[in-house]
Amino acid sequence: MEKFKEIIRQYPFVGFIIAFLVLMAVPSIFFTDIYQSHLASLICINIIVAAGLNIVKGYCGQVTVGHVGLYAVGSYTAGCMFMYLGSDLWLTLPAAIIVTAFFGVIMGVPSLRLEGPYLALATLGGAEAIRLFIENGEFFGSTYGISNISQPVIFGMAFDTPDKYYYIAMPIMLIAVYFSFSVLKSSVGRAFMAIREDQISAAASGINVKKYKLLAFILSAMFAGAAGAVYAHFPPGYIHPNNYTVIEMITFLAMVVLGGLGHIWGGIIGAVVITIVYDITRPLYQYQLFIFGLTIVFTILFMPKGIGGFIDKYFIDKRFKKKKTEDKK
Amino acid sequence: MILLKTTKLMKAFGGLIAINKIDIEVPRGEIRGIIGPNGSGKSTFFNLISGVYDPDLGSYIEFDGHDITNEPAHEIGALGLARTFQLLRLYQDMSVINNVMSGYHTRVSYSFTEAVLGRKKIWDKEKEIKDEMMELLSFVGLADFAEMNASELSGGQRRLLVLARAIASKPKLLMLDEPAAGLSPHNVDNLMKIIIQLKDKFGLTLIIIEHILKVVMDTCDAVTVFDHGQKIAEGTPAKVKDDNAVIEAYLGKKMNDDEMRKALAV
Ligand SMILES: Nc1ncnc2c1ncn2[C@@H]1O[C@H](COP(=O)(O)OP(=O)(O)OP(=O)(O)O)[C@@H](O)[C@H]1O
Ligand SMILES: [Mg+2]
Repeated sequence: MEKFKEIIRQYPFVGFIIAFLVLMAVPSIFFTDIYQSHLASLICINIIVAAGLNIVKGYCGQVTVGHVGLYAVGSYTAGCMFMYLGSDLWLTLPAAIIVTAFFGVIMGVPSLRLEGPYLALATLGGAEAIRLFIENGEFFGSTYGISNISQPVIFGMAFDTPDKYYYIAMPIMLIAVYFSFSVLKSSVGRAFMAIREDQISAAASGINVKKYKLLAFILSAMFAGAAGAVYAHFPPGYIHPNNYTVIEMITFLAMVVLGGLGHIWGGIIGAVVITIVYDITRPLYQYQLFIFGLTIVFTILFMPKGIGGFIDKYFIDKRFKKKKTEDKK
Repeated sequence: MILLKTTKLMKAFGGLIAINKIDIEVPRGEIRGIIGPNGSGKSTFFNLISGVYDPDLGSYIEFDGHDITNEPAHEIGALGLARTFQLLRLYQDMSVINNVMSGYHTRVSYSFTEAVLGRKKIWDKEKEIKDEMMELLSFVGLADFAEMNASELSGGQRRLLVLARAIASKPKLLMLDEPAAGLSPHNVDNLMKIIIQLKDKFGLTLIIIEHILKVVMDTCDAVTVFDHGQKIAEGTPAKVKDDNAVIEAYLGKKMNDDEMRKALAV
């Protein structure tokens, strides 16, 4: 077991390959109807968003409420490319990532001057502007949305139902999480955290605060863009401006807050929990904003470190105990 | 060889002239002390040099041959100038080891793309960095606290942590703003040993702002005295101690031997 742990530590992608194999097997073992596959795919998409949001909000400490706008950009890049060019996911996905990265720069520029609630307002304005632009643009299908966006086909096999699409969304999610893991566990992640904690100290340590803030926005935008594209092609392949409102933004925020800001695994668990609750409470849609708003408030008040905090505490306690027994010997 | 040089350094906050035409030259390998009453401009001097504040027009700052007068703070840091802050500014919500490792930033040798791809090389490098930083933590006596949150440290331990974070970048010049404030006598002695070692073993140049005269007298090669934003005296600790202007501005009155002994004993 120790040896196995050491291998994972040295070659983290081995861990991801194992996760891949396990997640490949999950549907056939556990899922009983197509709704569960539908939910599992949605969870994967939301994990991608949460992983990105965690970079800019959790690690870099930038209060952005505009992420849903970037998600919309990803979706509509994919949707429009399908509508006008007939492109499939393998083309729209990289395109959405690049286009959204560009929008990430725009979303990030206010962070060079604004902080806290002012930055939140600026980014919220950005997201709403994007949504209204889409809603009022004939080019984007305005209030009709874009429908029948194609599903990917591999070797003649169409992934055109939710239970099949899971096998598309899940690996993309794993790759995204792997990237976020690699970045955040490197000096780049430390620079983000330093900026979150104290910008003047960070600069004194030679960290280019402006550059890294923009980098955080760009990276997180790329995740949102990828998730948006995967969502656009998600069967039945229908996107509508109403899928990108403040409610969705609050659910994204709830994921990272509940999971524990700045905690990679916590954010993933948060995405799983919130996606399920979101889907269950869909009939009560008029209360959803309330439910997730309260979730955020209560988490911040009563467990500011979120689920991730408990995970950390568990491991620290365990290590502490182990050390104690070793000391006794 | 001069490492740091300022000419006509000026900074006014509104009507208040915090730094008034200060010329200083600090040679390589020297430990320079800066003393002066509260509000005399010592911390402001550090903030000007390290790029936290922009100096007023007409000022000139040269570090290691570079004109850094209007350079941004991170560029100055990258040139090899590290500092601590009077109010510490440590990264509260990060582990002690991560605090120190983020001080290593400018020395990280792998690229961003390599980091994204998560190659094994990166993990090896990260481990090397961590090992080296653990050594640094032992050097300042914090190795046992490596995995703790920085906010869980005591006041004195925090001071040692920001010192370690500043050393982590292997700077050419290290500027410490009241490193001994709040340390127990034992740790003050420890700190003095560390300072001397930094100079002798690692060839660092240091500038130290400190109110505890014992630290200044016992570690510094030269002392500069500030008062009301001006430099009022400069020289060896022994010479400065007897300077009439210094005694008036800083020590209040001329002390007899007995009082002097008390003042120097921490
Ligand atoms: N950001 C600022 N805005 C306005 N005034 C400032 C600012 N920073 C410093 N000052 C003023 O400049 C003067 C010098 O302050 P500084 O902090 O440099 O003193 P100091 O010598 O470090 O004092 P101490 O020994 O108490 O730390 C003080 O009068 C202070 O009020
Ligand atoms: Mg001061």
